[in-house]
Amino acid sequence: MKKVIVGNHAVAKGAQLARVEVISAYPITPQTQIVEELSELCADGKLAAKFIKVESEHSAMAACIGASAVGARAFTATSAQGLALMHELLHWAAGGRHPVVMADVNRAMAPGWSIWTDQNDSLSQRDTGWIQLYCETNQEVLDTTIQAFKLAETVDLPVMVILDAFFLSHTSEPVDIPEQDLVDGFLPRREARLKLDVDDPRAFGALARPDVYMEMRLRQQEAMEEARRVMVEVDAEWKQLTGRGYGPIECYRTEDAKLLLVTSGTMTSTARFVVNELRDRDEKVGLVKVKMFRPFPTDDLRRVLAGVPRVAVLDRNISPGHGGIFAEEIRSALYDLPPAERPPLHGYVLGLGGRDVTPEVIRDVVVRSLESPAASEREDLWVGVNS
Amino acid sequence: MSRGAPITDRVHGVPPVAVSDSDTTVNRTGSWKYIRPVYRDRVAPCNEGCPVGIDIEAYMNELREGRVDAALALLLRENPMPAVTGRVCYHPCESVCNRRNYDESVSIHAVERALGDMALEAPPAPPETPTRKERVAVIGSGPAGLACAFHLARFGYGVTVFEAAPEPGGILRLGIPEYRLPKDLLAREIARIQSLGITIKTNARVGADVPWTALDAFDAVFVGTGVHRSLSVGMESEDTPGIRPGLGFLQEVNLGGRPELGRRVVVVGGGNTAMDCARTALRLGSETLVLYRRTRAEMPATDEEVEEAQAEGVQFQFLAAPVRAKSKDGRLSGVECIRMKLGEADASGRRRPVPIPGSEFTVPADTLLGAIGEGPDFEALGADLDHDDWTLATDAFGTTTDARITAGGDIIDQPHTVAHALGAGKRAAVAIDARLRREAGETVDAPDLAALRYGRLGNVTATRWRGDDPVVRNGAVNKVVPYEELNPAHFTPVRVHPDRRLSVERSLEGFDEVNLGLTRELAMAEARRCFNCGVCNRCELCLIFCPDVAISRRPDGTGFEIDYDHCKGCGLCNAECPRGAMAMTREGL
Amino acid sequence: MSQVMIKDDVPKTELLTSGHLACPGCGAPLAMRLVLKALGPRTMVALPACCWSIIAGPYPQSSLKVPLYHTAFETGAALASGMKAALDIRGQSDVNVMAWAGDGGTFDIGIQALSGAAERNEDILYVCYDNEAYMNTGIQRSSSTPWGAWTTTTPVRHPENHPKKDMLAILAAHGIPYAATASVAYPTDLLAKVEKAKSIRGTKFLHILSPCPPGWKCADEDAIYLARAAVRTRVFPLMEVENGTRWRFTVEHPGDPVGPYLRKQGRFRHLTDQDVERIQADLDARWAILEQRVAYGT
Repeated sequence: MKKVIVGNHAVAKGAQLARVEVISAYPITPQTQIVEELSELCADGKLAAKFIKVESEHSAMAACIGASAVGARAFTATSAQGLALMHELLHWAAGGRHPVVMADVNRAMAPGWSIWTDQNDSLSQRDTGWIQLYCETNQEVLDTTIQAFKLAETVDLPVMVILDAFFLSHTSEPVDIPEQDLVDGFLPRREARLKLDVDDPRAFGALARPDVYMEMRLRQQEAMEEARRVMVEVDAEWKQLTGRGYGPIECYRTEDAKLLLVTSGTMTSTARFVVNELRDRDEKVGLVKVKMFRPFPTDDLRRVLAGVPRVAVLDRNISPGHGGIFAEEIRSALYDLPPAERPPLHGYVLGLGGRDVTPEVIRDVVVRSLESPAASEREDLWVGVNS
Repeated sequence: MSRGAPITDRVHGVPPVAVSDSDTTVNRTGSWKYIRPVYRDRVAPCNEGCPVGIDIEAYMNELREGRVDAALALLLRENPMPAVTGRVCYHPCESVCNRRNYDESVSIHAVERALGDMALEAPPAPPETPTRKERVAVIGSGPAGLACAFHLARFGYGVTVFEAAPEPGGILRLGIPEYRLPKDLLAREIARIQSLGITIKTNARVGADVPWTALDAFDAVFVGTGVHRSLSVGMESEDTPGIRPGLGFLQEVNLGGRPELGRRVVVVGGGNTAMDCARTALRLGSETLVLYRRTRAEMPATDEEVEEAQAEGVQFQFLAAPVRAKSKDGRLSGVECIRMKLGEADASGRRRPVPIPGSEFTVPADTLLGAIGEGPDFEALGADLDHDDWTLATDAFGTTTDARITAGGDIIDQPHTVAHALGAGKRAAVAIDARLRREAGETVDAPDLAALRYGRLGNVTATRWRGDDPVVRNGAVNKVVPYEELNPAHFTPVRVHPDRRLSVERSLEGFDEVNLGLTRELAMAEARRCFNCGVCNRCELCLIFCPDVAISRRPDGTGFEIDYDHCKGCGLCNAECPRGAMAMTREGL
Repeated sequence: MSQVMIKDDVPKTELLTSGHLACPGCGAPLAMRLVLKALGPRTMVALPACCWSIIAGPYPQSSLKVPLYHTAFETGAALASGMKAALDIRGQSDVNVMAWAGDGGTFDIGIQALSGAAERNEDILYVCYDNEAYMNTGIQRSSSTPWGAWTTTTPVRHPENHPKKDMLAILAAHGIPYAATASVAYPTDLLAKVEKAKSIRGTKFLHILSPCPPGWKCADEDAIYLARAAVRTRVFPLMEVENGTRWRFTVEHPGDPVGPYLRKQGRFRHLTDQDVERIQADLDARWAILEQRVAYGT
């Protein structure tokens, strides 16, 4: 059934359809409608979940871990400062192999205070071991939220579903909401294999000496590697049921391209618009959307970017002292390509703190990319700033 | 949905997360310790303090658990006459009871008396027959002789007791008054002893009614004739009619006589015999005055006796001694006395009384009873045994210079108390048993006093001699537990109940027993006040307070095991043991 | 009964195994052992960083016969909240959830999560076993360290200068159904409090004094003596508070002079007689306040 809903409500809907069992939530702009909607659903009896109104995000994640450790399906949502506060426990959820799903509304990190979108909050957490899935539309948000639970519970790793502040969280879009039966068929009740159980009492997370810690991390890494495959399978299954699939990356009008843009999040939609414009003028510019950032779709990106004359990566984030994070990771992924196939790659930092990425900005990126010398510029170009 | 390795499998040798699959017992934390706890039973001070050698702590513990029969059995192993001692013993056990440092001593005498009375309620058992062929002769049926006969009978010997008086019991029958020790109770107590198969011949004075040669038929002889020769008071005209030995007076009354004493009686002396004389005289209707040459503090009589005498109206003059008798019409009419003052200490350690010249005074008196002490009669002993003026020469177990003859009671060098006499009888029985068994060809070690006695100073226990202690002990050592090594935190203060007593008015009406002891319930409650010093009574506090769960119950309920593989030697068990029944040691490490 | 015979009041089941890694004479394993005896095997433990993280044993061991989750330092009460929610939704509401934290993880870094859980009246038992400093990291002060005590961060020239935080009052102010203090030297009192807590729906807080020989600088065998003396001297009174308003003493507190209690611990060795007098005076003043609370409520 199609409804016009804001991104936050798409998240809530996804969680509801997934029959989450324990929700712990602490409010932060612009996530608040997620927890408000879930709170109403629980109060109205439309969602049979325990809702813990925790007193901070750190406790929100702790409660999710506790619930997940007992074997329940746990969910939370946050943004920026809240996500940063959880940092310690993000490691814990992933290292503890808990299939927690969390919606992160990408919001810029303070100071100065900012409630608008950029990707630094989620990307700062890229080393914690969470699967990260970036969404472009509210439909994708809903679909990804539901898929996230299946993915998480298959590989026993936590999954972050990421949506842009305001551009998705507070923007209404038409969303096709699947029926509960369909979702139930797709996503059965969680049956945890390793859990706290009074009939089989064990200790979890005790002191792990150097002689075993690495192997446990290796298993975690191997689960991430398996997640590449499982994400695709889950997505394919969902596509079969609903007609909608996304894949870890998506290629849009990339054939014979002289330049490929690489984007994530809502600026992908804007980029599509510009690509269409250019293609209408016979300019062979294409677009690669990256949905799955962790595990990093190395093989997919190598496959689509190898031999491309030019690549422009648009980063709505910055790792201070280095560069845009997508750009850095893609450069690193492409390093092992034979030199002849390694495309020149230009990195562009834009849209921080919610600065709008308009078609004008993207056109500007296209022009700069095509006009710059063939060799890659190592320094990412900051676009749209006052000089 | 295809998957990789199930999460619970081990891959690269590990589970996916640090999940446990074993407990911690694999860690031998016992290797950390440098000292270790052991259960080490010790001796309660009351056991050491008891001249009889009774395992008081053990029977108190049985009573605490409600096991009255077991308590009685433990008591009767060592003491043939608890109903008697519970009444007349001066209870030195209570003077050393550790509980006196906490609130008040356990009223051990009251518990013993209650147990003794309970034992008398049972009908006497049919007489046993000796299991050994040897026969022993016991001279004197006082506490020493009866005890020796009792223990020898329990060791399996046939015993014949020769008693000069018409009734058995010695000083118990003839010396201690009825109001302190009812004679029918004594008779039942002696009957119970006799039921072990002992023969008592009364009116059978050895050396007169029975020739000494008759004793040659016996394999051993025990002499417990006591001391009956009242010492002279040392005053002029001591042969004045109306002046008589106090002990003879008591004997006459105890055999039913009611001599005419006149209105005023003077008793000379400060011991229990003097108190007995005084209080008996009161009951016969006379006013009574006790003259004692030292002060109240030096009186050898037990405090209860003196206090009861005072309560009943006996008058006292301290630091006074009789000098000469005054007579009228050939009978005593008064006593001229002299005041004394305390000078230097004499051989006994007490300050010697010195007359104050010119301090004479006279008290009226119709009768004077001398009760300053008794001496032995060695002439009556047919044998040629070493002795000094007061006592036969014996070794620690009572054997005299004739190996066939042992002795005990007031006739040997020990305090003149019923308890010491009972203790001596036991020691002699052990010596006799050792000798006779050795002569019969058995391999028997000589009795080792240090090993058989409680602590350093206590009397021997027949139980250790026989080696059949029913109490399960852990690593027992023969050392007394001082109060400092108890943990009083695990006790609560409980007041002692005083013994019930007749009123003074009622007491003086006749010779009914004055001290009625405790009710049975209160006696059992009193037993529960016992700390059970030195012996594990399975309170389990060691187990409860062990942080390492290293103490477990033995399946047979006899105590605890320590798991030294895991015990870290912290010592909490030992520190918390309420009764000092554990020790920390480097042994075994 | 003159002898304290408590063996029949102490459940015999052992849910703690030997070979755990507590120091000799430590009060903490004893506290856990006793609490679990009352809670029973249908219990799960949320265990944030503290000495017990080590006492539990390293991977692959556990010294507990109940499920246990090692969690981050400040998260005890929050983790427990999540566990309880999951158990409830999965139909296992009879399982006890216990957060087990030290004083650091309760008074300091963990106080937010605890306050949050208490305010929400989460149906958990929160137990703080208090050895009065960050002992696991080597004896650094916490807000539970009593005035005058030496720790490595309050050395002898600058000993602890603040009074111990009154956690019982703080929890009482949250109005939770049950909050209490207990001592490992009073096992039956402790067990009774756990039994009582077990029967209550809502947040239950139990603060147990747990002497630490290395940190308090006392002999290994002194833990029970000190845990008892602390109560007798009124340094650590045993109380319970119901619904934040009704206060009660649960044992006799004779008011023994505090000097011998202090002098038995090396961490107080540097105290002058005046210091001891001051401590006694503060103790007496605080006792008067406690008596007011008991008499009049809060």
